[in-house]
Amino acid sequence: MVPFALSLLVLLPLVGAAIVLLIPKGQKSDSLIKWFAVVWSVIPLLLASYLWFVLFDPNASKMQFEEAYLWISSINVRYHVGVDGLSMPLVWLTTLLTVLGLFYSSYVIHERAREFFFMFLLLETGMIGVFVSLDFFLFYVFWELGLVPMYFLIAIWGHAEDRPQYSAIKFFLYTLVGSVLMLLAIIAMYINTSTATTPGTFDLIELATKRPFANDFVFASLAFWGIFLAFAIKVPLFPFHTWLPDAHTAAPTAGSVILAGILLKLGTYGFVRVLVPIFPQVFQANVLPIAILATISIVYGALVAMAQTDFKRLIAYSSVNHMGYVILGVAAAVAIGGANLTDRAIALNGAMLQMFNHGVITGALFFIVGILYERAHTRDLKSFGGLGAKTPVYGAILLTASFASLGLPGLAGFISEFMVFRGAFATLPLIATICVLGIVFGAAMMLWKVIQNVLLGVFDEKRWAEQEKHGVKLYDMTRFEVITLAPLLFLMVLIGVYPSVILNTLNTISVAILGQIVK
Amino acid sequence: MSLSVPDLNLRIIAPVLIVAISALVVLLGELVTSSAQKRGLGYASLVGLLAAGGAAMGLWDAHAVAFREMVRADNFGVFLTLTILAGAVLCILLSFDFTRAHRIETGEYYALILFSVTGMLLMVTAADLIIIFLALELLSLPLYILAAFKREDERSLEAGLKYFLLGAFSSAFFLYGIALVYGATGTTNLARIAASAPSEMLLIGAGLLLVGFAFKVALVPFHWWTPDVYEGAPTTITAFMSVAVKAAAFGAFLRAFLVALPALAMDWRVVLAIIAVLTMTLGNVAALLQANIKRMLAYSSIAHAGYILIALVAMGGAGVSAALFYLLAYTLTNLGAFGAVIALGEGERERLNVSDYGGLARMQPLLAAMLTVFMLSLAGFPPFAGFVGKFLIFGAAVQNGWAWLAVVGVLNSLVSVYFYLRPVVAMYMSEPVEGWGAPRVAPLVALALVLALIGVIALGVFPAPAIALAAGGLGR
Amino acid sequence: MLTVNHLIFLSAILFSIGAVGVLVRRNPLIMFMSIELMLNAVNLAFVAFARYLQNLDGQVFVFLILTVAAAEVAVGLAIIVALFRQRETIDVDEASILKG
Repeated sequence: MVPFALSLLVLLPLVGAAIVLLIPKGQKSDSLIKWFAVVWSVIPLLLASYLWFVLFDPNASKMQFEEAYLWISSINVRYHVGVDGLSMPLVWLTTLLTVLGLFYSSYVIHERAREFFFMFLLLETGMIGVFVSLDFFLFYVFWELGLVPMYFLIAIWGHAEDRPQYSAIKFFLYTLVGSVLMLLAIIAMYINTSTATTPGTFDLIELATKRPFANDFVFASLAFWGIFLAFAIKVPLFPFHTWLPDAHTAAPTAGSVILAGILLKLGTYGFVRVLVPIFPQVFQANVLPIAILATISIVYGALVAMAQTDFKRLIAYSSVNHMGYVILGVAAAVAIGGANLTDRAIALNGAMLQMFNHGVITGALFFIVGILYERAHTRDLKSFGGLGAKTPVYGAILLTASFASLGLPGLAGFISEFMVFRGAFATLPLIATICVLGIVFGAAMMLWKVIQNVLLGVFDEKRWAEQEKHGVKLYDMTRFEVITLAPLLFLMVLIGVYPSVILNTLNTISVAILGQIVK
Repeated sequence: MSLSVPDLNLRIIAPVLIVAISALVVLLGELVTSSAQKRGLGYASLVGLLAAGGAAMGLWDAHAVAFREMVRADNFGVFLTLTILAGAVLCILLSFDFTRAHRIETGEYYALILFSVTGMLLMVTAADLIIIFLALELLSLPLYILAAFKREDERSLEAGLKYFLLGAFSSAFFLYGIALVYGATGTTNLARIAASAPSEMLLIGAGLLLVGFAFKVALVPFHWWTPDVYEGAPTTITAFMSVAVKAAAFGAFLRAFLVALPALAMDWRVVLAIIAVLTMTLGNVAALLQANIKRMLAYSSIAHAGYILIALVAMGGAGVSAALFYLLAYTLTNLGAFGAVIALGEGERERLNVSDYGGLARMQPLLAAMLTVFMLSLAGFPPFAGFVGKFLIFGAAVQNGWAWLAVVGVLNSLVSVYFYLRPVVAMYMSEPVEGWGAPRVAPLVALALVLALIGVIALGVFPAPAIALAAGGLGR
Repeated sequence: MLTVNHLIFLSAILFSIGAVGVLVRRNPLIMFMSIELMLNAVNLAFVAFARYLQNLDGQVFVFLILTVAAAEVAVGLAIIVALFRQRETIDVDEASILKG
């Protein structure tokens, strides 16, 4: 047993961030900061790995490594943390992507390194905090805590030509609009659960059993939609997605990776952790509109992605498409239909696995885009071509990640999308049928726009030679870039061929969640 | 007929007395000190304030009443006393180098601040309208002078004149309100007013009292003096006014309406709610348009008065303790923000435009980080004090059936994020402006900033003790 | 017969005249005099109520108000004089470097 394991996990990055600030100024301080931050970030990864692979019991449906202390007694706020099969993989993924992002950044970030690594570690604390919080107040604190560093990461280290400050404030305000409404819903739930003699509760577990507003559908709906909006903006679900392409395009590579890999998951995580268990009736009553929004996200996201000429924007829109599957899976799992628990559990498993997979795959794709941008100083898909032959390692990696993204069997994306559809066909057949279009468009977008434009086609010797005079130099992946991507590629293959490594963990918890709401 | 000796209990006004005596000592000290020794008078004021703080802590849970029920030392009063004293201490720490740079380093400066604090402390413990009025004047008169303290600066004089005229104007309303309340009930004692039958005259009197308080805490539509006065007054005084006057005036406001006029306050609730909405909205929207940081903070202080008014509308124990906590949080945060502005001044020049803050993150990373924290706290971000304050206020509003008011408040704080972030954006993302050297922060200013920072973070992360103290309650 | 109502009515009129004076006049001295008029209207009201209620509190209040008003005069005139020295005019409209 590791005492205070989750608190350690939350605090370690914060301590690291503080140390980064304290490293004395000097000639070598930048490289010292970089190496310190990377090495330090490995500690949470090791801890999370140890917790998940050694101590975590995948067959237990209750919270593990729980800690609970009274924090603000007068309003019954507790510092309550714990993980289950839903959050453990996401916590682990957070620590992994942070290590990779920091490692990659230590090579490519040259300006204001101290602030960059400080913000990045602070961000990690915020993200892990959200995943482990079992108290809604605490959840909200961490939710907001992650917002500020991400804002700075985009605004300061963003690409100057992509209006980083505009994109950052857009990201910031969009998220904030959602979160303040969530705040009101949190307060309302607290007050609704309080009685004359006992204070209310912010505890997510208690709320799931107490079901605030159980007899008041109108207020329950208000609270539901307030929280829904906060999460839907974060996911992002159509029509709340417009901040995403701007933020992604402007963000520095590691920022995009975290944004796509983890921050979007906060939204879908919230769906499963908060909305489904606490407001099952409202969710069930509104399953159709939510599923329709998911459908639009899936189809529209893929179509718009296909229309992009900017490589990074394309990946950003593909996130809208992929995250749509997650929401579809969740909606399918709570839909009232003829389906039995198995179908619904499969849908929820698929949604949860899709969260993890999207983090791995899209994280990798954003690294891949960033690597190309480092060389070509452009992301215009038309200006590439024939790179497959010139840079074979890069080509192979891009090919793998793209195939994983479009759902080729044998790679991670296939499993989760298949499960989502397997569940959705049972409960929402019509919607699921339409969503298949998204798969088709998604495949087209990857094959046609990305693989064909970048890897295939004719290599324009003249143009590259011309550009070389301006400092643009084409070379294959360097060792550090391969190291950055290797773990993600490994995961894609591993989950693709042997999904049980993670599915067992997920299945326990999705059966538990659904079992609770079927009542 | 027997002559009764009034129940003199000097202990329960000990904080007030200590501050008043320190003010007199500093005033006399002015006569015997050379211009190089003025700093010593500042230290003497600090000692007086800290001693008063000690005396106030001794009154915790005393629940004493004295002077024919004119003064009441309940935990409500002690909490606000400590809040005001904390604000005054920080303000004096910020003043040492500021007054020297602006050539206003005199004993009177400190003495006037102390006199004003005397009035404030009396105001939050007053249980009789007579004392509230006297305290209000005692806190205001020194501030009129302090606002005009830079005698060579027309802006400062103009600020002083405007503040004076409008302050006196509002006092007249306040007094007329007292006269009507007295006429309707035959008493000026808050508890006895509560016991008397409601009447129309009492209602009108309460309305006029409301006008008087609204002027002092800058509620719409009695707010328009605020930006001018805040901009013109010396920055240390602006900082002091923006927090301490609010704490004192809201203290008396809450006491007068919740103790003396609870039944009438119910009638006034809808009006107060509308005023709260207007105050928040106007304050935040006007702050959006300001390029001058002092004016921006002035409008922001108007908006914060609106948030606190929500707590008053919500009433009940939750509302009162939320208001107290908020006042404490706001005092520390706003003094921190002004402190950063003061710290960045260069001689008599101050960085007043948001664009002057360009590139500071590189020249003064620590100060930039502190100002960022203060701005985030003002905007209501966790894990800082401002967030907990807003949470408690909105919670109290929802709890007492004013959910729509909480919604308006939340949307308003959303708007406010935009202008609070502007100096932050300038510091971290703009290039330094020409004509400014690298700022050097004086040690005492740094001390004030660090104290405020610790307070803001501690109240944000471990708010439980402060909330418990704020719930101490209003004696009736 | 002069009742308390008459006196209060008179004081209300005086108070209103004073308030209007503050709002429409732009010379600080006149504004200041208007404020004094408002304070004296308050005094009248207090005295009238004190007599009506047979209670001395109101009369005591009048003394306090007179004292405070004197203090206000001292402070207010000092500021006005200081401004006059700087600017050679005291018109409030001309005192408008600070834009509202």
